[in-house]
Amino acid sequence: MGMVNRLWTIGSLICAGVVFAGNAPAGYASPPMGLPAPYRAPYIPASDGERLQEVPSVADPKVVEMRSLRAKLDAAPQGLDAAIRLANSYIDYSRQIGDAHYAGYAEAVIAPWTALTAPPATALLTQATILQYRHQFDAARDLLQATLRLDARNAQAWLTLATLDMVQGRYEAARKDCAQVTNTSGLELGSACLGNLLSYTGQARQSLALLRQSEVSGGRASIAYQAWIEGLIAETAERLGDWPLAEAHYRSALQLLPRDNFLLVAYADFLLDRGRPGEVLPLLADHSQSDTAFLRVALAQAALHSPEASRYAWMMAARFEALRQRGSDYFGREEARFALQLQHDPQTSLALAQHNWEFQRAPWDARVLLEAALAAHQPRAAAAAVAFVEQTRLEDPIVQSLARQVPMPSSNAARENR
Amino acid sequence: MRRFLGSFPLLLAALIAQAHSASDAYLTLSVDGADESTLHGQWDIALRDLDFVLRLDDDGDGELTWGEVKRHQASIDRYAYEKLRFKDETGASCAVQPTRQLIDAHADGAYAALFFDVHCAHRSQTLSMSYTLFFPIDPSHRGIFVMHSAKGTSTAVLSPQNANVVLALE
Repeated sequence: MGMVNRLWTIGSLICAGVVFAGNAPAGYASPPMGLPAPYRAPYIPASDGERLQEVPSVADPKVVEMRSLRAKLDAAPQGLDAAIRLANSYIDYSRQIGDAHYAGYAEAVIAPWTALTAPPATALLTQATILQYRHQFDAARDLLQATLRLDARNAQAWLTLATLDMVQGRYEAARKDCAQVTNTSGLELGSACLGNLLSYTGQARQSLALLRQSEVSGGRASIAYQAWIEGLIAETAERLGDWPLAEAHYRSALQLLPRDNFLLVAYADFLLDRGRPGEVLPLLADHSQSDTAFLRVALAQAALHSPEASRYAWMMAARFEALRQRGSDYFGREEARFALQLQHDPQTSLALAQHNWEFQRAPWDARVLLEAALAAHQPRAAAAAVAFVEQTRLEDPIVQSLARQVPMPSSNAARENR
Repeated sequence: MRRFLGSFPLLLAALIAQAHSASDAYLTLSVDGADESTLHGQWDIALRDLDFVLRLDDDGDGELTWGEVKRHQASIDRYAYEKLRFKDETGASCAVQPTRQLIDAHADGAYAALFFDVHCAHRSQTLSMSYTLFFPIDPSHRGIFVMHSAKGTSTAVLSPQNANVVLALE
């Protein structure tokens, strides 16, 4: 039997033809003409002082915290509480820097408990958070439900489930989850949950009012909580087309958590939409490790017609290719944008956006589907997104104006009758 | 009854869903054209992954320099080659001989490029390879494996569930 056949029988294989040295992406065997090659043969750096890689620094209190939690767990490896604390600290750092490595470390930390025949609720909840972070939504949902069977008053589990339901556009379920958040944790967190939900269901004004209340009462809460609320207000303001309000709250969120990848990326998207790509570059200058941040830099470079633009697009393609090689397909939303805006390939973008729509239904998911379908001259391919926007009465000037370009005779009639 | 928010262990990561890349290493093996019992290997391992386990950033400034990496090359070799094993058809272990360590630039950062040869005592049609890099500390790590031989090129994704593969040499 030949080697190829033999290997095929072994396990999860990928069927790549030639993989280029230095992990160059398929179709991108050489960098664009006239630009320095982002890849070269393995080399010996010219001097000892040559900087090769950014790594977490002990100057970051979060890094010190993680190390101290790790030392505590190592001293008493049977301690579930210490393990959960360390795992949550890793997950939080992963989110903060936009780097999934730490989610993997967290998974290993709680593995002794998740492997038990009857895992404790806290371990299930932490594992659910990791899976949700990786966009393994169905598996995350199963674990959250298992958590709640063991501990029906776990507010974090209800809040996480609410978020999951919102991401997937299941707003009725999310409403019930938020009610449970109120039951189990109190009105403050419950109205933040509901405030978040209403921004998706045609009640952005009420959403804003609720979130503003949370903003005031949350003054005593953790910085992370305050930043979360500020970010939600910014997002809701965008839904209302109130750009100055959105910007003010993105900025206050970032004042609280200046290095938070999620907020940085959301603000970068805001700036790109407002035609201010020049401000994206300094904003994300130190965050190129994150793939989501890197995409925004690449988009900004393209919008600025910078000579670096094609090199960034090439690097982004390489990163997506690396993800494909490891078998990840959960970058649908980002990759659909990449294919459309940077590779000018509406057909590929549409296929990615349609696949993404199967399991993610936030406003951005509707938007990438609409943009791809319109660019591909197949507006009806976005019919599901248009129906969703009408059904949920999503307020979002950008999504709405895209949806209006899709001919939907029956729904237009329905709208007039309302 | 109501808990004060300040004490609520709110896990913010649970409130967003955003995709990020995880840890990959790239392992390439080539069968020696002249001597099929020898394989040449290149194994690219991300410096930030190595820093997590080996703390390469001696001055703690958050920047790995070539000087720091160079000082730790022996421990990088020791750490990595423990996690890559080859056996021939008789079950005898093959020798893994490190040859040199360079730096390789990938789209997501700098990697240590570990070059090595694999020598087996018996001429064998197949080899079994066991790859366990980082799995105990990061089950989401993947080894992107490529093998070149006279037969062509084949690939596999090495994971905790797929850590042992059989390589056909002829």
